[in-house]
Order: sequence, then C-alpha cells, then structure tokens
Amino acid sequence: MPENFDLTPEAAVRAVMQDILGLDAEQVAEFDADTELFGALPELDSMAVAGLLTELEDRLDIIIEDDEVDGELFETFGNLVAFTEMKVAE
Amino acid sequence: MTQPLDCSSYRFSDRDEYCLRAGIQSSDQILLIPPLFDEMNRMRRMIVDMMRILAEHDVGTILPDLPGTNESLFPQHEASLEVWRDALKTCFEAHQGCSYVASFRGGCLIDGILNNLPTWRLTPVKGKSLLRTMMRTRIASDKEAGSIVTMSDLTKKVKNEAIELAGNIISPAMFEQLNEADITNPNTLRTMRLESDSQPAEGKLAGSPLWLRAEPDADPILSQSIADDLEEWVKS
Repeated sequence: MPENFDLTPEAAVRAVMQDILGLDAEQVAEFDADTELFGALPELDSMAVAGLLTELEDRLDIIIEDDEVDGELFETFGNLVAFTEMKVAE
Repeated sequence: MTQPLDCSSYRFSDRDEYCLRAGIQSSDQILLIPPLFDEMNRMRRMIVDMMRILAEHDVGTILPDLPGTNESLFPQHEASLEVWRDALKTCFEAHQGCSYVASFRGGCLIDGILNNLPTWRLTPVKGKSLLRTMMRTRIASDKEAGSIVTMSDLTKKVKNEAIELAGNIISPAMFEQLNEADITNPNTLRTMRLESDSQPAEGKLAGSPLWLRAEPDADPILSQSIADDLEEWVKS
C-alpha cells in the first residue's frame, strides 16, 4: 500500500470514522455529504467523539478548540469534512 | 491457544506489583509495556492472546501492572510517568534474562528505561493527545450532567490539585509529564503501525485499532500479526 503523506481532510475523516466505529471500508466509502452521523450511528457516542477529535488533530496536524465543537458539527458527514477542510486551510 | 499463563511480581514502593507471564521457560523474554489509561482495558485481551501465541513459538513475555493500574494497590493520585519509569526499571531488574522491550501506544512514553535495550513499538501516541481525549471525555460527561467545563478550566485546576479525567485520577505531576512527554527513544529499533495508518513506519500490521473503540474487544488478526513480527524481531 503506498504511503499517503498528503492525506486530504475528507480521506482523514473517512479513515478515522472507519477506525473508531469499527466499520469496513465499503461502508465508509458510501458516506456522502448528507450522511447523518450523531444520533444515526449508535457507535458514535460522546466518548467516541472525544477520540475522533483527537485523532483528526493528530492526523491533520490541526488543533480543535472546545468552542468549535457543537452538535451541528456532527450532524452530517459533510459538516465534519467541511469543518476539517476549514481547519487545515487556517 | 492452550499455553498456560504464569505470574510473577516485582517489589516497588513497599508493595508487590503483579506481572502476567507467558512462555516463562523460553530463553527470549520480552518486557511488555502496556498502553496507558483506558486504552489498556480495550487492548488487554488482544495483548494476552498475543502472549499465548508467542509462548507457543518459544518467546516469553512479561506484562507488568503499572503502579496504580489493574490489580495494583498503589494510590492512583501518586502515579506519574516518572513513577512508572522507575517501576519498570525495577520490574526489569527483577526479571533476569529479559532482554527486549515491546511498548504499546502510551507505553512508548515510558519505555526509555535502560540504555541500549532493543525496543519495539506499536503506534506511539503523544501524551498530549491522551490528555486531550481524556479531557474531552470529561467535558462531554460534565455536559451530559448539565455543567460546562473547558480544557483551559481543567488545565488551570490541575496545577494545584488532582483532577478526575475519564475515570482516572490525574495528579498535577502526571498532567505535566504527559503534556511534556517526549516520544523519542534512542533505543527504538522497530516502530510498527497498522495498515490503515498512513504515517511512516518500519512495517505495517494487519488488524484494527482497538484503542479507538468504545468497548474492549479481541482481535485475533492483530494478536497474530504482532506475535509474528515480534518473533521475527527477537530471533533475527
């Protein structure tokens, strides 16, 4: 497998969701911007969110502040990807 | 998986700390440094399965309790990375014939115990990252209970007193040492990651990152792939 040093925010979010929720690659590949997350995926509880945010920070070299995290962020896959894209661009 | 498990202990701070062992008669013995905090709970089954596989291949392993974890009666609020490093040194000295170290995740923060000790690592994690996840877990559970606390509130509070983070008592010393812990170890010979991890490593292993899961689980694929790699490493 080639090593991906230029991980896009979207690829990172997909990979982290796969790792944290224990889903397989096909399931995560089906996620699109409208896929509902918090509330729709039982595995994604508030504890899983804690790990997910730290993993995204480490993999994308970003810092996510407390006040940037709200319910809306985890409403859909699209929201989460858009947020990480914004953080990477900062 | 029929290999019997044994146990031993090491004396630290006037207490006997427990070690789980497999392959006690083997000439190659590896000291395992467990993941820290709740990552250990999620990975213990996988690690014990791995120890049994290694024993079948004539490689012995020693899995110590860090003071304040698992069966240990050491007061949790007195634990720190420094204490754990001292304890591991004592444990190593108590087990003559042990000549390798394999550390997992947060265990990599405390694996620099002796010079020139060949060290194998699985997916090292920064102390800061462990702290941020634990603080976020605390913030989320406080929020569910109706109170608002922030990372900076917690960081301020822990300067003077121990705080509870995700079920762990974290002393000011532990917090500070985790925050500043350096992950580099001059002895590291082999750093391994999972196939799903895009970061560079000496090699990639099949299996799933149990440390990120909500619940403890077994992963026979990961136990096997780690055992295969460790066996090759100690016998090369």
